[in-house]
Amino acid sequence: MFALRGIAVSLTFFVLLYCLLSALVAVAWRSLRWLRVTEQSLAALLFAFRVLPLAASVVITFAFVVPSFQLLEPRSMNIDEGMGAVPFALGVCALSLIACGCFRVFTAQSRTCRVVARWLEGARPLKVDAAAQTYAQTVTFPSRCEAPPLTLVGIRRPRVLVSESTVALLSQDELRVALKHELAHMRSRDNLKKLVLRFCPFPGMAGLESAWSQAAELAADDAAVSRLDDAVDLAAALVKLSRLVPVEAAPLCTVGFVTGSISARVERLLSWDETDKARAPRIRTWYVVPSVAALLLCVFATYGPALSLTHEVTEWLVR
Amino acid sequence: MTKALSIFASRSQLGPFEQQVLQKLWSQGSATVRELLADGQIHQAYTTVMTTMDRLYKKGLLDRVGEGRAFRYTPRHSHEELQRVTALESIRQLLGSDDASSLPLSYLVEALSTHDAQLLDELQLLVERKRRELKGRDGKGSDRKERGQR
Repeated sequence: MFALRGIAVSLTFFVLLYCLLSALVAVAWRSLRWLRVTEQSLAALLFAFRVLPLAASVVITFAFVVPSFQLLEPRSMNIDEGMGAVPFALGVCALSLIACGCFRVFTAQSRTCRVVARWLEGARPLKVDAAAQTYAQTVTFPSRCEAPPLTLVGIRRPRVLVSESTVALLSQDELRVALKHELAHMRSRDNLKKLVLRFCPFPGMAGLESAWSQAAELAADDAAVSRLDDAVDLAAALVKLSRLVPVEAAPLCTVGFVTGSISARVERLLSWDETDKARAPRIRTWYVVPSVAALLLCVFATYGPALSLTHEVTEWLVR
Repeated sequence: MTKALSIFASRSQLGPFEQQVLQKLWSQGSATVRELLADGQIHQAYTTVMTTMDRLYKKGLLDRVGEGRAFRYTPRHSHEELQRVTALESIRQLLGSDDASSLPLSYLVEALSTHDAQLLDELQLLVERKRRELKGRDGKGSDRKERGQR
């Protein structure tokens, strides 16, 4: 009973914190759009903001709630003292949330595998330039009307799929820069990120997810382009491949080349300015290290009182 | 979306002068009849403007509060809201216009495809223009280099 009660209390705390943080994020994320940073940094920030509720809830539950219950909850309970209706109901909610997340991930992944296996029938590695590393993880497949012209698939072993009609339609420079765009998605693990987003469902997050998706596209455009000629080639490839986009929607765990607002992307590429790109500040990963270190220091310094406080909060929740 | 706006979108159309008055009010925020006429862009009689604004108020598109012996009118909805509801209502009417419900939808898809194709043609022209511009610039650059070498 003690263990069950501990699990119920932990799940209750987790689900309440997750919902509270998710509601805050759903309201507050719009302020990030006004930041003057590179698209790559903006995409990273938006993704971090989206997964923050789940990550923070898991960390706080395991770092504070579980130890506080184990250390501070008296084990010699009266037999009559049950689990409590509120922790039981919220515990079921938390389990449903986790099950829903797992189901969404499983269905997205299985559908993607099924569709990609169909696209890959008769596929072979692309041999445009044997020396170029760009094409190392790229395979062509016979053109089918239901398959996108250029897309990134896979999480553990990501590959860029390019249809034969795409190879025929694009010039060598256009194909090179379009493949660099998809490889930029591969480097930033955007397919894995999409799967992670499926795991943390919450209403009202569609706007944030769509903003992340658009920022990730623009970040991949920026990564593929190093001068104005490349930008024009990428814009030309985008316009050409937009005419080949299939009616059937692509499965979730793929990143297609023709996504987001095409006209906005083309206009942005045609007004490419390297000095503007260099001027926009980029947020590096190590910028967060001092804040995390300070936070960890605070946690270590105040861990005892924090556990007592957490225990009081959980007691109040259970009552 | 408010009920009044939906009723407006489904039952009535705006005349050109009503649209002009609404545009003026969206740009000014709020105005009396005299303030609308003050900048001389509306060439209509005071009573015509007053009747039009009263009609827009009765259609639920304007709010009004008494100010002395006149009224101050404010648009009840933003331009975007009105466009959205009008478009939604038009699509709803289109879809409900025939027993074979798939037919109007196919017209919509056809219209969208045509629009998309036109947009792509325009983007293609922009790309080609930029390419020509770049080639021209490169050509001039190489001419200058050749002259320098001579």
